[in-house]
Amino acid sequence: MRRHIPATACGIGLVFLAAFPLVYGASDYDYIMHLWITAFFYAILASSWSLLAGYAGQFSFGHMAFMALGAYTTGLFNNYFYLTSAATGTCFEIPLGSWYFVVLDPIGVSASPYSCLDAARDAWTVDVTITKPSLWFGILFGILVGGLFGWLIGRLVLRLRAAYLALFTLGFSEILRAILSAEIGVTRGQAGLELDPLFPDGVSILGASFDATDKLPTYYVMFALLLACIALMMRLERSRFGLFVRSLREDEDAAAALGVHTVRYKLYTFVVTSMIAAAAGAVQAHYIGIITPNILIILQMALVVAMAVVGGLESIVAAAVGGVVVYFLLEFLRNDFTIGAVSIDMTIWRLVFFGAIVMLTLRFQRNGLLYAFIMWCTRAGVAQETVAKRAAAQQPPGKE
Amino acid sequence: MEHSIIFWPVVLWMIAWGVVGSVVTPRVFLRRDMDISNASLAGAFVGAASGPFGLAPLWYLAPKSTRGWVLLSAAGALAILIAAFALADPDNVCVTNGSLVASQVANGLVMGTIYALMAMGLTLIFSILRVVNFAHGEFYMVGGMSVYYVSAVWLPEMPPAAAVLVACGITFVIGGAFERLFLTPMYDGRVERPIEYAVLVTFGLVFFLQYFVQALAGASPVKAQRFFDFPIIRLPSAEDPWLIKTSKANLQLFDTVSVSNPRFTAAVISVLVLLGLLFFLYRTWWGKALRAVSQDRQAAAVAGIDPNKMNMLAFALGGMLAGLSGAVLVQAFSWVPQVGMLPALRSFVIVVLGGLGSLPGAFIGGIIVGMVEAAGTGCIPDPQRAASYIPAYGMLILTLTLLLKPTGLFGRRE
Repeated sequence: MRRHIPATACGIGLVFLAAFPLVYGASDYDYIMHLWITAFFYAILASSWSLLAGYAGQFSFGHMAFMALGAYTTGLFNNYFYLTSAATGTCFEIPLGSWYFVVLDPIGVSASPYSCLDAARDAWTVDVTITKPSLWFGILFGILVGGLFGWLIGRLVLRLRAAYLALFTLGFSEILRAILSAEIGVTRGQAGLELDPLFPDGVSILGASFDATDKLPTYYVMFALLLACIALMMRLERSRFGLFVRSLREDEDAAAALGVHTVRYKLYTFVVTSMIAAAAGAVQAHYIGIITPNILIILQMALVVAMAVVGGLESIVAAAVGGVVVYFLLEFLRNDFTIGAVSIDMTIWRLVFFGAIVMLTLRFQRNGLLYAFIMWCTRAGVAQETVAKRAAAQQPPGKE
Repeated sequence: MEHSIIFWPVVLWMIAWGVVGSVVTPRVFLRRDMDISNASLAGAFVGAASGPFGLAPLWYLAPKSTRGWVLLSAAGALAILIAAFALADPDNVCVTNGSLVASQVANGLVMGTIYALMAMGLTLIFSILRVVNFAHGEFYMVGGMSVYYVSAVWLPEMPPAAAVLVACGITFVIGGAFERLFLTPMYDGRVERPIEYAVLVTFGLVFFLQYFVQALAGASPVKAQRFFDFPIIRLPSAEDPWLIKTSKANLQLFDTVSVSNPRFTAAVISVLVLLGLLFFLYRTWWGKALRAVSQDRQAAAVAGIDPNKMNMLAFALGGMLAGLSGAVLVQAFSWVPQVGMLPALRSFVIVVLGGLGSLPGAFIGGIIVGMVEAAGTGCIPDPQRAASYIPAYGMLILTLTLLLKPTGLFGRRE
């Protein structure tokens, strides 16, 4: 019976999550929905990091950098690219049939930005339609850029192992953060780059219409993205790819000697996981509406690492569930509580407890709390079966 | 920058030929059946310094030892960079104002010494445990915080030197306790991948210590009083103190080089501690035992040294060195619980540059990084942008080192 617990729980969980926005009706609806969307975001990051670190053994601390690459690519795309029906004459532009593809000049952080498009707008005497290209192209573009950089970084770290790899990727992440916060002219630095919401003109699903600030469409987008990523990774994990990648983790030289193309599979892993991270970052950036270089500080990375560790580093689903659970715990532990005369301000102490939990999990239950439970369930009865089989085999035939 | 048309093409030219050199040279050497461990480094430097004019003879001659080539072309590349910068930006303060340059160099040396102290802790830990302590910056932060709390809040009468000792004690104990509680399962094969386990568990310690201190001390910046005031010295005479001129908070040498009191004190303490550390490592039984374990664990065990005990000592000592550099710097910078991040990254850079596990490497690397940061912050036009890029300078060094010579300047091959 125990064996069916994880699968059943997954099924119930999926149905629950799919129905949740439709049936939940309390007054804190928006807040709870926000929590779910962000939890999905972290779940995607944690599970893809578990593929990279837990399966392939590449302990990269640059995962948030790929996320930020996705977010900033789509952010810049959203801010700098326009389509107009007449030539501006002031901007850099490429004619596309009857339309012009316009690239704005860097706006910087001035209080009243006056771009070349504004200049053109003042100069035009006729009615000109100005639109933005669909932001989904931006997101797609972000995913591609994430994959490209994943390939590049994967290529550079081929020779590096363990601690060196961790340091190198941390360095990459810090350099990216420095660039994003220093090139104020383009990225607006700490002032933050603003993005359109995911559905700027609202959306109508099955007759019900939602406007740009409603959370339900975003919820389903993020949920679908999470399911798609997990499905993709599970498929990879069950295939030869998963086997090869695990052999890389256990012993790279032995794997190479047995004919595994180690370079190719390492690169695959980097590209796939960074594309997933970039996708999560791009969608989340449009949902939040503003991005700053602080999305890739080391503590954000530590949060993702912690989620994967608490869930289970060597299981994609466990890491994803760990992400959701940890995020909700952190959010709900914000309430202060009082024991006798001592009142504890949980907004600060929750992170202390959390750090302790991460260290203790690593120390005493290395495969993660959730993964241990899954194993306990799926391996129920295995011992008895083995004993029974062995006993049957030892029964000398024809003795009676 | 005035004539950036000079500077950037030169830089691009150097980068392009450096890449060509670093990619092609190992192949050329490999074809001739030679050792390629230093080939990409030599190719990169020779290419950057002299382009095709140096690379062609390098490939043709294919010298067995490339050490001379590397040193010469490193100096050449640096000279070309400086010359290009000076030509491109003749009005820059670093070009026009010699005394500023002297001050920057002095400050680079002073800060480099303190960085080296902290990096030595990291490299000490690595040489014994083969573990990169990602929580090194947190030890630095705890060291500074303890000095502030002991000397300014709890016991205002306490002399600063005693507060520094208390900080050393606290970080030493934290380091030792952490090692006993969390790193012991690495040693006996209970962990499948010990290095990765250590990376993760020290990462957890970052989270824990940072927020623990924030919960206790709050997030507002604190700063300790300076430990000592300079005595007023005017040499050779009070009217014309061109040799040494001190005020309470500042020291001026030769009318040009000026170093502020907190930094000067910190550097002097760092040098003393470095000397003490060398004495400990080379003249005492415990220090010799530590070095023995770092050279050959099993042989040391055979000779009667308990390697597990040395693990604990190394981690505690390494943490203490980080705590000490925090303790001497808390009088120079303001302190928040997140203050450890930059110094930790800088220490990683230094130890990788010097070679993980090498003590002299950590010292030289510290000086180099101190100088690069001084040049980077002082000379680059547009100060705001220069300040934003501070972490990137070091990370650039780290990236280049890992790509060209992963063992660092003085590293041993594993």
